[in-house]
Amino acid sequence: MTVRRCLLSVAAVLTALLLQSTVLARLPLPGGAPDLLLVLVVAFALAEGPRSGALTGFGAGLLADLGADHELGRTALVLALVGYAAGLVHDDPSLGASGKRSTAVPFVVVGLSAAAAVSVYAAQGLLLGDARITGAAWLSALVGTVPYCVLLTPFVVPVVAALVRRVGQEPVRHPW
Amino acid sequence: MRGPRLLLVLLLLTAFTLTALDARSGQGSPFDALRRGADAALGPPQRALGGAARGVGKLLGGDSDEQAALREENDRLRAQLRRTDDLRRRVAQLDALLALKDSGSYPMVPARVTAVGSAFGFESTVTLDAGSSDGIAPGQTVVDGNGLVGRTLRVGPFTSTVLLLTDPGFTVGARLTRAGTVGLASGSGDGLEFALVEGGRIAAGDGLLTTGSDTFVPGVPVGRVTSVAAPGGSPVTTAQVRPYADLTAVDLVGVVTGPPRRTPRVPLEPSTRP
Repeated sequence: MTVRRCLLSVAAVLTALLLQSTVLARLPLPGGAPDLLLVLVVAFALAEGPRSGALTGFGAGLLADLGADHELGRTALVLALVGYAAGLVHDDPSLGASGKRSTAVPFVVVGLSAAAAVSVYAAQGLLLGDARITGAAWLSALVGTVPYCVLLTPFVVPVVAALVRRVGQEPVRHPW
Repeated sequence: MRGPRLLLVLLLLTAFTLTALDARSGQGSPFDALRRGADAALGPPQRALGGAARGVGKLLGGDSDEQAALREENDRLRAQLRRTDDLRRRVAQLDALLALKDSGSYPMVPARVTAVGSAFGFESTVTLDAGSSDGIAPGQTVVDGNGLVGRTLRVGPFTSTVLLLTDPGFTVGARLTRAGTVGLASGSGDGLEFALVEGGRIAAGDGLLTTGSDTFVPGVPVGRVTSVAAPGGSPVTTAQVRPYADLTAVDLVGVVTGPPRRTPRVPLEPSTRP
């Protein structure tokens, strides 16, 4: 991974984290708010594959965990998993190469990823004995997160794809 | 395919280890310094962007300055009105006996909300642009012009994180303004749930005030009862409460940083009239 490519990820995640906490989470929307960090992770996964998705998800999740009121690593686990899974779509030949895939694919992948993220986070919370996780909380989190994330898709996925292409993605060997 | 899969397993194991370490240590987690560092680093840009966010809010149907001033006055008057039910009861019960002066003045630090956290919708926290250098400490009461907003969780030098009262992790002792009975109000995601400690009646429309504890200042308006549920045979009466504070638009808040300026209690002497 080149230095420029690393910088792009760091800058994108930090910008998304700031925009999420100061603007998007404060929009007077009924029921919930979009999760820019999640859509960003899926966008990287769709542009570059499971490795990029998992790494971006882990980093973004860890940063989000630092500012939240739960144990460190919970969002990191969820977003790494979601990023990896969304990245498999990028690699899947039946869904077309990333250049000529159907325009519906990103919307579907973001929607499924958001639902998966909320559910995995809830399941993990149940295992950890988090009193905040109830059936009602899970439902309202699904309803309040998934549609807004899908709405955010056309503003994030093409931008990330263009940025990644510009920075020049080459198949590089990773040290790990 | 083997490379990414191995990477994923490593990342998941790392995340899980962090979670386990953090969960086991509870208070005084090894990651506290890291959290404070992140708060300190993100504070200034969040503060700068907070202005932009308010601008966006204004575009989406916010108030003009004049409307804002009127709204503020309205809030203040309404808050006064809410306290009168409770005041009447207290006046009748106590003031005949004690030389009590209403102690309504707590030292308070004003602060603005700069960021909001939600963890996929499961949590409700906000970040304030004031911290320990302004006298704020963890566990202090946060109010706005309408009533209780929450309590401070984590405090950095220039920022602090507040747990909102609608968060399921939030609990406060509260008293019904008309009946005077006490109970516990806990966050339920979009509002509060109030349960009486001992039996009693709750009516829709009743107001709730904090009872006061080592964490909470007494007499802060919490919310109004919207519906009462008395499950058949259950000894505990519970009610749904809508907070007075408008949490979707919470902006300017006050953090109560100390005990009230004390009113001296003068011992009541027996009448010495001949």
